[in-house]
Amino acid sequence: MDLELNDIQQELASTLNKYLRSEYDAAKREEILRSDEGISREKWQEFAEMGLLGLAIPESYGGADMTFNEVAVVAEAFGRSLVLEPFLATAVLGTNAVLLAGSEEQKQAILPGVAEGQTFLALAAFEPGQRYEVTTPATQATAGADGAFTLTGEKTNVLGGDVADHFIVTASQNGELGLYLVAADAEGLTRVAQRQADGLGSANLKLDNVAAQRLDAADAHSVLSEVIDLGNAAIMAEAVGVAEASLTMTAEYLKTREQFGAPIGANQALQHRAADLYAELEYARSMALYSRLAVTSEVAGAEKDRHRDVIAAKIVLDRAARNISQESIQMHGGIGMTMEYPIGHYAKRLTVMTRTFDDADSLTAELAALGGLIEPQAADLS
Amino acid sequence: MDTLLSAEERDFAQQMRQFYRTEIPEELRFKVATGQELTKDDMVTSQQILNKHGYAVPNWPVEWGGQDWTPVQRHIWLEEMQLACVPQPLPFNVSMVGPVIATFGSQELKERFLPATANIDIWWSQGFSEPNAGSDLASLKTSAVRDGDKYIVNGQKTWTTLGQYGDWMFNLVRTDPNVKKQAGISFLLIDMKSPGVTVRPIQLIDGGHEVNEVFFDNVEVPVENLVGEENKGWTYAKFLLGNERTGIARIGGSKVNLARAKAYAAVTKTANGTLLNDPLFSARLTKIEAELTALEMTQLRILSTQAAGSDKPDPRSSVLKLKGSQLQEDISELLVDVLGPQGLDFVSDRVQGQGLSDLPHGAVDALPAYFNTRKVTIYGGSSEVQRGIISKALLGL
Repeated sequence: MDLELNDIQQELASTLNKYLRSEYDAAKREEILRSDEGISREKWQEFAEMGLLGLAIPESYGGADMTFNEVAVVAEAFGRSLVLEPFLATAVLGTNAVLLAGSEEQKQAILPGVAEGQTFLALAAFEPGQRYEVTTPATQATAGADGAFTLTGEKTNVLGGDVADHFIVTASQNGELGLYLVAADAEGLTRVAQRQADGLGSANLKLDNVAAQRLDAADAHSVLSEVIDLGNAAIMAEAVGVAEASLTMTAEYLKTREQFGAPIGANQALQHRAADLYAELEYARSMALYSRLAVTSEVAGAEKDRHRDVIAAKIVLDRAARNISQESIQMHGGIGMTMEYPIGHYAKRLTVMTRTFDDADSLTAELAALGGLIEPQAADLS
Repeated sequence: MDTLLSAEERDFAQQMRQFYRTEIPEELRFKVATGQELTKDDMVTSQQILNKHGYAVPNWPVEWGGQDWTPVQRHIWLEEMQLACVPQPLPFNVSMVGPVIATFGSQELKERFLPATANIDIWWSQGFSEPNAGSDLASLKTSAVRDGDKYIVNGQKTWTTLGQYGDWMFNLVRTDPNVKKQAGISFLLIDMKSPGVTVRPIQLIDGGHEVNEVFFDNVEVPVENLVGEENKGWTYAKFLLGNERTGIARIGGSKVNLARAKAYAAVTKTANGTLLNDPLFSARLTKIEAELTALEMTQLRILSTQAAGSDKPDPRSSVLKLKGSQLQEDISELLVDVLGPQGLDFVSDRVQGQGLSDLPHGAVDALPAYFNTRKVTIYGGSSEVQRGIISKALLGL
């Protein structure tokens, strides 16, 4: 059994953490956040040059032909520095949707641009009033004469949708779920850019007879489920980075902030709560790993457990993220409420990111409905 | 989790699984699986079978019957044992006094005690805690005063688990009252049949007799029963307590208990179906299942670090104890809540006779087990002590 990062992954993590510490510190991030687009295209280009954007893309489409394991290393490092650029939207959600459902031609058209940092992607799956339900879109797809389609409907909370060049849009055709590729400059597409509470960009879309290509190399339900599982696994990796930085910062504050003539961390009430957060962070790391193993497993039959394992991991991670984000503000006191001080930004990221695809209650209900993780068994019941 | 293991580790797990399920009597494993109390004979029988096959003391040095196993193999050995509901070897023998004698004892002590300890021909009791030395163990007062070739021991130990069966007792005693409290402690082996040793039972809130007080009244102990050097006992105690912490999360046992609660819930009717389908009950159960997985992954991550060659003190061991003990308590509470009103009496048999219907499965053991399990967040370094260790590592204050 070996659960450690391999040499290449360790090298990737250490190079990237070093780069982010010097090139993506709080001041730089603040400058990017206040810019018009809220992201830095220059930084995105640097990510591409470092090979971060095509890690899991096959070489034939301009990528590095690696795996989600390396993507998770990047996500964790980005979490530590609260990177604002749409890595999750483009390199995880959009890329995997195209990889899993796209034709050879579609993959050739889209993926090399992603790896080079020229193309932003976004998954448009949520609709107004539908909360987290994504498998029964009201958006309608209509087949044209020449194999092309047009889409009509409305999408909401499209992560990275504010800058996306292409959207992967869910829609129903005769009641059947499908995935469609839509160019951002297509006629009939209205995009309203939004900013999430954590500073990341999103968009709401109105589609009125918008031209689209169908991504139909695989069943749309299974592709969407796998893309969201991968997205959640990436969110968990990123959340570990965010939560670790939050706890480090909070521990530092407990050691240095003095009241009544002593560091506030000398109080056992705070020490024990900090210890609980440490335990929560270890749980978060364990479950981020568990989900990464689930989405990368090549063991026969593991696929059927993938979704179950990812949601089990997310149930634990959600609680850890909530406790760490809330307690880190509380332990900082008033300063934790301010935009000037970084801890609140970390808390906002944790709050938003863990609710991207689901919430803890719906996951718990879903895992229970799947029968949980342990078979019922009692020696005295036959 | 099998998929995380290498092919060799998987084979090893299969081998252990097969061994436990064929060599350990079904009747003993059924008792464990259904929460019945084990007799002294049950525990001796199980440990002697394990020892015959070299599986009682794998953590010991090879020359004294141990196995040259990796940390992962040791984990598998214990996990599969718990999953197969095998009565575990007596921890006082196997993970406490044995490794201390093997590491710090003289050759004479090793030869005299280790084979009999592995085979449970000697039943050891632990003499650490005292009425005024609990979490602050080093403040212990039981004294051993040198008198020629013997020590004269006076004082009192408490919480001596299964001391009623004890042949010998390993004790922390004060041999120098005039130095810093940790520096005046020695590790002394005492024959419990010695004149002046009195064992008094303590009844616990679960109704059982698991622990005892032990009194020493001018007990004469030969100096050759001293382990290692005089006044170095605190070092040996820390070594012992470090061994105690590995495996203390009892993940295999928690899996068995959770599977059992789930099986009972599935046959427990409610107004709208079964308890297993009740939304609030199933939410609570599901969160515990997910958390048990997190605990197991944490344990595996620690093992993986150890397998990679690190033996640094690891505050994550305290996370295992803190979280693992809480989960054991949560699961014991879950079982009580499955039973409802019929789990609230202390009864010795679920068959009532006299024309009355049988009590539900678990009615005998669920509530006593719930009360008994309160101990797990107290012993082996209480939850508060673990939080102290973690915060020390985190804050250094």
